[in-house]
Amino acid sequence: MRMLTAKLGYTGAGLTVFAAVLAPFLLYGLFTKGFSSLGLHIDEMYTGGPTVRTVQAAGYAIVIHRPVSPHMLQREKSFVQLDWKPVSALPLHVSDLVDIDGDGKPDVHVSFDVPKDPKARLHVDVESLNPRYEAMRNVSKEKFSALIVRVNDVVLVRVPVAH
Amino acid sequence: MATKAQVLKAREPRSASRSLLLTLPIALWSLLMFSGWFKQPNRSQQIAGIITVVFMVILFFMMMRTWSTYRWRRWFFVALGVLFPVGFIHQVLVMRGTMGIPIEEMIAGRTPFCFIPIPLLILPAALYKTVVFPGSILPGGGMSGGGMAAMAGIWLAITIVVGKGWCSYACFFGGIEEGMASVPAKATLRKIDPRWRYGPWAVLLAMTLLSLALFEPAYCMWLCPFKAVSEYVAARNTVGMVQNGIFIVLFAGLVIALPLLTKKRTQCAFFCPFGAFQSIFNKTSVFEVKIDRARCTPCVLCQKSCPTLSLTEESIAKGETLMSCMRCGACVDACPKGAVVWHIRGTEVAVKPERARLMFLYAAWAMAIMFGGSIIADGLATILHVFV
Repeated sequence: MRMLTAKLGYTGAGLTVFAAVLAPFLLYGLFTKGFSSLGLHIDEMYTGGPTVRTVQAAGYAIVIHRPVSPHMLQREKSFVQLDWKPVSALPLHVSDLVDIDGDGKPDVHVSFDVPKDPKARLHVDVESLNPRYEAMRNVSKEKFSALIVRVNDVVLVRVPVAH
Repeated sequence: MATKAQVLKAREPRSASRSLLLTLPIALWSLLMFSGWFKQPNRSQQIAGIITVVFMVILFFMMMRTWSTYRWRRWFFVALGVLFPVGFIHQVLVMRGTMGIPIEEMIAGRTPFCFIPIPLLILPAALYKTVVFPGSILPGGGMSGGGMAAMAGIWLAITIVVGKGWCSYACFFGGIEEGMASVPAKATLRKIDPRWRYGPWAVLLAMTLLSLALFEPAYCMWLCPFKAVSEYVAARNTVGMVQNGIFIVLFAGLVIALPLLTKKRTQCAFFCPFGAFQSIFNKTSVFEVKIDRARCTPCVLCQKSCPTLSLTEESIAKGETLMSCMRCGACVDACPKGAVVWHIRGTEVAVKPERARLMFLYAAWAMAIMFGGSIIADGLATILHVFV
C-alpha cells in the first residue's frame, strides 16, 4: 500500500511538472476559452444594458438602452442609458427631445455641449417631461446612474429612473 | 531553542557542474519563454529580456548549488513586487495620464483585472451569471488587452501547478512586503496574537458577501492596499476620497510599517482574501512541506522564520504546516536539523526530500519565469527606456 501511494505521489508530481510545461502552450489558452464560454456578462451598471431601439436624428443616431435596475444593496439608482453617436456628426450643441419608452411622446429633453477636445469634461441638462424620469442640472460624471461621458465615438447620457 | 551543538554543520554546496546540469532545463525554458523579447525592435525590451533570463537562471543555479530555496526565491519575488508597479504605472500614465480610473474607462470595460477579486466574483457569477467588475471578459479589454478570462486562465493554470505557491512564485504584490520584512535584522514586534491568522478568512467572507450584496468588487473598491501602487478609483466625490484614503493607510500600515516591525508578510498573513481563498488549493497540490518528527528538536526556528505564521507548536507536533503555507521555503532553510522538508503527498516523509524540492522547484520556477518573469522584464524595460 505504501509503495502504491508513493508511486501515485510521484506520478502526480510528474504530471504537475508536465502541466507546468504545458501551461503556456495549452492549459492557459484552454482555461481562457473555458472561462469565455461560461456565458457570463459584465454587470449592466457598467455596460448600460442591452439596446432597445435606435432613433435617427439629423446626421446622428440616439441609441436607447433598456432601463437598468440596481441589485440588492447596490449604491446606485435605476437609470436608462442614451447614446449619441457618432460624436463626429454631432453639432456643437445638442438639444434633443427623446421618447425613451417608445409611446410616441417625448419623455426627456436632453441638452449638452460637444467640445472639440475629446478629453474635455461634459455637462448635461435633462428636463423631465415624464415623471418616470428624473431631471438633471449641469451633471457631469459623479455617479454611474446619472452622468454624461464620452466613450470612444459615443456620448453617453444616463438618466435616473424615478421609483 | 536550538543550541549551537544541535545545529548541524552547514551542508557542503552541490558541485558547480551538477548544479549547472540541474539548471539546464530552466535555462532552456527561460530562452523559450523570452524568445519573443529578444526579437523586439525596441532595444530596451531586448536588454530587459536578456537581464531577466540571466537573473532567473542565476537564481535557480544558486538554489541548486546552495540547497537553499527561500533566500534566492526572495530576490525574484522582491524584484517582481518592485518592478510590477514600475511597468504598470508607466503603462497607465501613458494610456490615460492618471493612476485614477475614470468612470468612462470603467464603462468602456477597460479596467485592468488582477487576480485578487477572483474569489469575490464567484457568487454573483454563479447566481446571476454576472461579473461585477468593470472590465471585459474576452480579449481586447483591460490594460494588457487580455481580458478577465485570460487572467482567470493564467491563475487556474498556475494554481493547478503550485497551489498556494501562487503567493510565493506568482503574486506581483507580495514582493513589496517581503522586501520590507527583510530589511531589519530583528523584529521589533515579536509577540503577535495568533488569532490574526484568521484575518484573511474573515476578510474573504466579509468581502464575498459584500460583493454579492453591493454588486461590486468590494475589496477593490474599499480595502485593497495595492491600489496605492497600481490604480485607484478616480476621486469623483467624497466617497472616492475616503476610498483612496483607506488604500493609502492600509498600504502604509500593512505593506510598509508592519512588515518592517514584525519581519512578517503582514498583508498576506492577516488580511489578503485571495491568500485565504488560495489556501484551499493547498489541499489539491501534491507538493507540501512536512516536518520529520524523528529529527525535530523542536527548536521552533521554523515557526519563527515563517512569514505568514503558518506553523504552530501544535502543527509542528503533527509534522505539518497549516493550510496557509505558501511554499516559500523559509522554514526549510531555517531548520538546523534538516527536519523541515519538501514532500510529495503519498511518499514517506524525509525520504528523498531533495527530489521533492527539485520537482516542486522545476514546476514553480517554470511558472515564475512565464508569468513573473515577463512582469519583471516589463518593469526593467520601462526603466531602461529612459537610458537606452
